Amino acid sequence: MLGLCAAGLILFVSCERARGGTFASRKMIILGVDGLDPDLLAKFMADGKMPNFAKLEAKGSFRRLTTSIPPQSPVAWSNVITGMNAGGHGIFDFIHRDPKTFQLYFSTSRVEGPKHTLTLGNWVVPLGSGTAEQLRYGKAFWEILDEHGVPNYVYRMPANFPPITAKGESLSGMGTPDLRGTYGTFTFYTDDPTAAVGAVEGGEVVQVEVKNNRVATNLIGPDNTFRKNAAPATEPFTVDVDPLEPVARVDVEDHQFVLKEGEWSGWIPVEFELMPVIGNVKGICRFYLKQAHPRFQLYVSPINIDPKNPALPISTPTSYSRDLAKEIGEFHTQGIAEDTKALTDGVLDDKEFLEQSHTVLAEHRRAFDVEFPKFHEGLFFFYFSSLDLNAHMMWRLTDPQSPAYDAALAAQNGGALEEFYEQIDQVLGEVLTKIDNNTTLLVLSDHGFAPYRHSFNLNTWLLNNGYITRKAGANGDSSEPFADVDWSRTRTYGLGLNGLYLNIRGREREGIVEPGAQADALLQEIREKLLAVRDPKDGSQVITRIDFASEVYQGPYAHSGPDALVGYNRGYRAGWKTILGAFPPEVLEDNTNAWSGDHCMDYTKVPGVLLSNRKIEAQTPALTDIAPTILAEFGIAKTTDMKGHSLFQAR
Amino acid sequence: MTDQAAAKAAAVGSFQSSLSLALSLLTNPLAIVVMLSLAVGLLMVVLFGYTSDQKAIGIAKDQLKAHLLAVRLYRDQIPVVMGSYGKILRGTGRYLKLAFKPLLYVVIPITLLIVEVDRYLGATPIPANTPFLLTAHISGSDANDATLQLPAEITMTAPPVHIVADNEIVWRLLGTKEGKYEVKVAAGGQIAEKTVCVGSDLPRISTVRMRGHFWQRVFTSAEPALTENSPIESISINYPDRDIAITGYGMNWIWLFFILSMVAGFIFKELLGIKI
Repeated sequence: MLGLCAAGLILFVSCERARGGTFASRKMIILGVDGLDPDLLAKFMADGKMPNFAKLEAKGSFRRLTTSIPPQSPVAWSNVITGMNAGGHGIFDFIHRDPKTFQLYFSTSRVEGPKHTLTLGNWVVPLGSGTAEQLRYGKAFWEILDEHGVPNYVYRMPANFPPITAKGESLSGMGTPDLRGTYGTFTFYTDDPTAAVGAVEGGEVVQVEVKNNRVATNLIGPDNTFRKNAAPATEPFTVDVDPLEPVARVDVEDHQFVLKEGEWSGWIPVEFELMPVIGNVKGICRFYLKQAHPRFQLYVSPINIDPKNPALPISTPTSYSRDLAKEIGEFHTQGIAEDTKALTDGVLDDKEFLEQSHTVLAEHRRAFDVEFPKFHEGLFFFYFSSLDLNAHMMWRLTDPQSPAYDAALAAQNGGALEEFYEQIDQVLGEVLTKIDNNTTLLVLSDHGFAPYRHSFNLNTWLLNNGYITRKAGANGDSSEPFADVDWSRTRTYGLGLNGLYLNIRGREREGIVEPGAQADALLQEIREKLLAVRDPKDGSQVITRIDFASEVYQGPYAHSGPDALVGYNRGYRAGWKTILGAFPPEVLEDNTNAWSGDHCMDYTKVPGVLLSNRKIEAQTPALTDIAPTILAEFGIAKTTDMKGHSLFQAR
Repeated sequence: MTDQAAAKAAAVGSFQSSLSLALSLLTNPLAIVVMLSLAVGLLMVVLFGYTSDQKAIGIAKDQLKAHLLAVRLYRDQIPVVMGSYGKILRGTGRYLKLAFKPLLYVVIPITLLIVEVDRYLGATPIPANTPFLLTAHISGSDANDATLQLPAEITMTAPPVHIVADNEIVWRLLGTKEGKYEVKVAAGGQIAEKTVCVGSDLPRISTVRMRGHFWQRVFTSAEPALTENSPIESISINYPDRDIAITGYGMNWIWLFFILSMVAGFIFKELLGIKI
């Protein structure tokens, strides 16, 4: 009897040890590199520019990673997070619409003021607090790791604002707004009388007067919802320009600093008073003195949420952003930190944009250098945005066929993207030194990249082909979403970068298409016609793939997004105006914008990258395989709604 | 200088030296504030006890309590309540009168102490290799011709900004090595020096050097006055404010000092049986 008890005890202890050993000794590192393109990576590896990636491939595996449908970052990273496709997590695009009101909103999160307020004169007193709500559904892989006691660290995961409750440290990434609640609104101050003053895409141009060599103006903060008219809160600042030298002193709140022409300030904390005593919000911004003389030109970055005093939740625990800021200094908290709009608006030039981009990457690397040495167990996920945003903006400098190509600029900055790739290789080099036999490393990207040379205006095409009808006298140039559309005679519409929606009876406010056979037939008809569209310049096929939601999505939200996904050929993408429901005159336009590389196309043409230090058994791995793989590494079974499989198991 | 003034200067000098010595024994600002608060709390109570009429204060407080009790007990008798309120007002006035003189004895040395301690704890030295601004106010047209002479360890990183409207010149400088340095501002044929502290320790910092404005100098400057006939009116440096971290949040030392010294004062008052 005693012997039996002893044997039982030994068995129990050894089982516990074995179980403990599985959890305690396994380690997993994931580098999420947004937009890392397999073709570019292979080229740079062949050129000897990416020695650490080459080393990793030699040791393990390098695969093309099937991206999401559509291949957009919020969708793709949601696939990674949940192991489900958009039908499961409900993120179909950057932009979603309310079918009843046609109001557009950011797909991943919603920030709302308090439900009840009390109006006293010009003041609106909140009776309760506002909310920041994440709109992605499904369990994140690190929630499941938490449930099983696996420590985890998640840095800037896209589509995770506000960050979900987690036991580990996490920082929100793409989707995190600036202090004004936008994806980033810069301000440009100039005394140039010919400047187009007012709102521009992604920013605002403010006319100032230089009087006695002094500019007195205001920083523009968030809309003040404590005031009846909700006008933006402002904070005064002055700039004293030296009468002769290209240098100026900036004085904002109790901070003073001197900038030479062409210089960036560090992060400057600012505080906007919304209501005396009780209602202040803090942010941080950077100043760039573009020109002191003869014209005054000052760029102020979007006002980021201050990580030391976050006005909205951006980390778990809430103190983490503050702790990180103490270690590495203030940093960009805005989801898309690289100010691409300032470049496309001509406020920043290539050199200035690249300087700002390098600052962003330097911040990520500082955070990495602080956090990675602390990693000893569980999962470590770290995200880099630089390759994606710089491929978007710098592609034209490597693509002579791009309508935006400029040989002189290409000679100056044509190697910029390659430099960012090399920096990511350096980060990988740091990781490789810490890999042991118990560590699984994944380097992955959400999608690849392709040239974006021509814009296809889907709504204009639908209008020209009789699928959309506008009211008589409609203004062709209106940028209002679906301005003057006669919904009673409109069968379909385009919204977002790849979305094609039917005007379904009972779903849309004035839907006229019957769900079922009529809808299916209409989709078939449009698919055939769209696949037949050719570029009149060279006969190229513009659209190479149309996926129906009913065919590619599974899950409870499969029918809440677009009815079909338009997959553009390499070189083509939806035009900027059409994605927000406008009707530019031409169906096809040359893209002369600095935003010249893209991936919102036929998903088979822009696969991502997957590398591991272990042999990847899956021959056609997909983003939805990542979450099941992570769980499997820690001995946790995938959930029933996950679509993928572990990469390391033969299928 | 009269003997009295010399004695006063010597006393101030020895006070500063002692404080400097005491502070040099401690390098943690939080520890300094805690110890200082305890000491000041005790000192305030003892000083108040010695300089006040404890018996009269006791009576005044007892009477106030009695009138407050009357308000509660006789709240249904309006004339009594109103009369008690009047007596409370008069009693409060009497109490404040009794406390005024001893408070004067307490407030003056503590104010001077705060001014001096603030020179150590109010700001941090400029971190090495971090830009900072040196601003000179120079009267008249001499501002245009002002120049700066720098030691080798301090470099200028941008051309000076001339702010004509304010008679100011602003230089952006950078200290490459920790230490205490003298920079010289030359204008109108005169030269004025300003100390710059670069580093991370706890030096005695003077954010501004100025001329005239005696009381302003006492409270804000820790350097000798600039020459009266000099066109250079003041030279200042934008030292960063020093925050003392408490449970992850930074605050100026003075708030912490006020809270802790009050708490200490209330504790010592009870322990020593002194009526405040």
